[in-house]
Amino acid sequence: MLNKFKNAFFSVVNNLDTASLDKNNDVGPNGEPKLPLKFPYTRPHFLQLNGEDEIQVAGDHAIRPIIVPRDITKMPWNSGYAEAVNAGKSLRNEDQARIHVGYLERRSRQRIPYSYFALFDGHAGTGAAISASNELHCILHDKLMEVIHHLLPTPEINESTQNGRNQVLWFPEREIGVESFIVGALEATFHEMDNLIAEDRFVYRVTGGCTVVVSLFICGKLFVSNAGDSRAVLCRGRKAFPLSNDFTPETERQRIRKLAALQPELLGGEYTALDFSRRPNRRDIGQRLLYREPHMTGWAYKTVTPEDLKFPVVYGEGKRSRVLATIGVTRGFGDHDLRAPNSSILIKPFLSSQPEVRIVDIEKEAIYDTDVLVMGTDGLWDVTSNERVAESVQRSLEQFPAEDAARYRYRFTSAAQDLVMCSRGKLNERSWRTADSKSATIDDISVFVIPLAAYKEEHLRWKQEMESQSQRQSDHQVSVDIAVNDPSTVESPVMAANQPGRMTADIHTNGIPPVDKAATLLDPEEKAGVVAVAEEDKDTTVGDAAAPPEVIVDPLQPVTDGTSDPEIEDKNESNS
Amino acid sequence: MSYAYLFKYIIIGDTGVGKSCLLLQFTDKRFQPVHDLTIGVEFGARMITIDGKQIKLQIWDTAGQEAFRSITRSYYRGAAGALLVYDITRRDTFNHLTTWLEDARQHSNSNMVIMLIGNKSDLESRREVKKEEGEAFAREHGLVFMETSAKTAANVEEAFINTAREIYEKIQEGVFDINNEANGIKLGPQHLPSNANTPSGGASASQGGACC
Repeated sequence: MLNKFKNAFFSVVNNLDTASLDKNNDVGPNGEPKLPLKFPYTRPHFLQLNGEDEIQVAGDHAIRPIIVPRDITKMPWNSGYAEAVNAGKSLRNEDQARIHVGYLERRSRQRIPYSYFALFDGHAGTGAAISASNELHCILHDKLMEVIHHLLPTPEINESTQNGRNQVLWFPEREIGVESFIVGALEATFHEMDNLIAEDRFVYRVTGGCTVVVSLFICGKLFVSNAGDSRAVLCRGRKAFPLSNDFTPETERQRIRKLAALQPELLGGEYTALDFSRRPNRRDIGQRLLYREPHMTGWAYKTVTPEDLKFPVVYGEGKRSRVLATIGVTRGFGDHDLRAPNSSILIKPFLSSQPEVRIVDIEKEAIYDTDVLVMGTDGLWDVTSNERVAESVQRSLEQFPAEDAARYRYRFTSAAQDLVMCSRGKLNERSWRTADSKSATIDDISVFVIPLAAYKEEHLRWKQEMESQSQRQSDHQVSVDIAVNDPSTVESPVMAANQPGRMTADIHTNGIPPVDKAATLLDPEEKAGVVAVAEEDKDTTVGDAAAPPEVIVDPLQPVTDGTSDPEIEDKNESNS
Repeated sequence: MSYAYLFKYIIIGDTGVGKSCLLLQFTDKRFQPVHDLTIGVEFGARMITIDGKQIKLQIWDTAGQEAFRSITRSYYRGAAGALLVYDITRRDTFNHLTTWLEDARQHSNSNMVIMLIGNKSDLESRREVKKEEGEAFAREHGLVFMETSAKTAANVEEAFINTAREIYEKIQEGVFDINNEANGIKLGPQHLPSNANTPSGGASASQGGACC
């Protein structure tokens, strides 16, 4: 069975290399015309690497330079970012990143600013990650525009109430909070992105798949959506509070085995949904072996039959765990054509694009200057633990005293660079080693370090502005009544609300406010605590099977819910 | 553009001595009085001609700050040339040269050509390090020496080109193994057509297959 792994590994690696190498050729291996690329290969836009030359230097597998943004004024709140290419495991750096700062606008009167940070870790090609980095934020913008009337502060909602549109008597009253609309937008966005890639592959060359982690700052809150094994961690002091769970064959073993049991045809007769304490071989037939069914977490005995010699649908432990002997990550985009080794069995039905969304109420939380959100691809976390990351960040930030104004703004960039250094390590003879002489990662590494205090300040300023604007608007309403023909009077409050400093270049502005639906504002007090998990839908469906019930390690359970909140609360108290 | 050789350079030295400005003057022919702090590493590239041969210089400009030292050290590897820069108006930057030199020698290949550069020669009135001192240091450690001004562009071209010439001569003498990329030298596409064993090499190179 080692061969299965070998094949899987080589097919993945080979896929990529041919995909990247043949970019100048217009014909495939059999002389058939190749589909065009939808987006060219590039590095994240905010790095401002100029041309293929610099992309190549940045991707030097022997040196693995740590690349940081050239101009940090392009980074919201002086956020840090750093990346390093793999040590040769794939030709290109398959990670991608995206920052998008925009606002939702309704009838040019009220604007909701948001900031979006995303990491994509590609595999078996760069296509899916490139597509997602170019398109996911656009889809999200449209989805958010569809619910903008639920996101605006109270006066706007009152207005719609006055219009009487939401008094639909036959519609059962159900309280849906602002947060739920944003979570819904994120979930719908992830689903649509994956579908878009599925459709695109008939028109364009889209290779591979990718994981996704998105941090969306909007309405005073942080929404972390994760599908894959990248990770977001809130670093506060030297403590780490995970804001995402990793979705791997190991953590989603139960979901995948259940699906395999429900839809055995997906296994092509070659794999089994049963899990044995060790892999049975021919000599075990007729013997009793410890095993578990997909509906079990504990163990029982089974008499081995020839059927049971099939390869398990999920096999291997930890980082080596694989679905259908092929893939080591169970959520994300793409992989629509990925097949199990030497077979026509599709992997995609076992993968899911559904994100787990977690919410941090930044407006309500006491946020300190050194509180940062660290987002990183698995290249970072495989080597450096959450706690080590939090420590490293604090150490880096301490090197930049506030008095040194010229250097101060680089502190998050420097922290990101130090984190990449922690996991990349140094080349020692022939292998990459960490500072404490352990194996470093040979994977691509990408890291964001995002200061939360800066967002909080920005949000409170916006809120104040909104309040004074609505005040002006109610004043203005009076003046319009008096001088209704004077356009300058009508325009002035709008102009005052404009934020000229915002980057607006690639915002879609096709958001036509939809018909208001019944909705009531969530009582803000209802959402207590720092971290809330939003993954309510746990129905099992084909291709998107949901969470297992109680298991010892359940990736979908909010592991931080019980533990992190009190600590954060404690710290707040001691600091206030 | 096709080239015969590619040389990798690094620029090292204390923070604020003008490393990034030297690079900018050489690649863009302009001077930026207030330059942002370099975090980690920056890149630049320019084509020059030596002995009728096109040579591409790929320059890695490193951060001078002590805090970034352990990271920037990892960029020394595989450099064929180094510009070791100090500021003639700041004695401490000259005093630190020994440390920089040890660092460079320890983390790069032994054949690396090192050019010592006393920058900011336009600020004669504020000079703290005599030209003779720079010359003596260079002689003592077997370096090439030059005073430059990234502001007026004086000697900037020369500093980069003379270093390239030294490397080129070492190649001619057979000191550098040009087939080992760890030496910071790569053969460009211009070399390939002359190689009778790889007639197809020229064709692929003309498609821009040359990597830097």
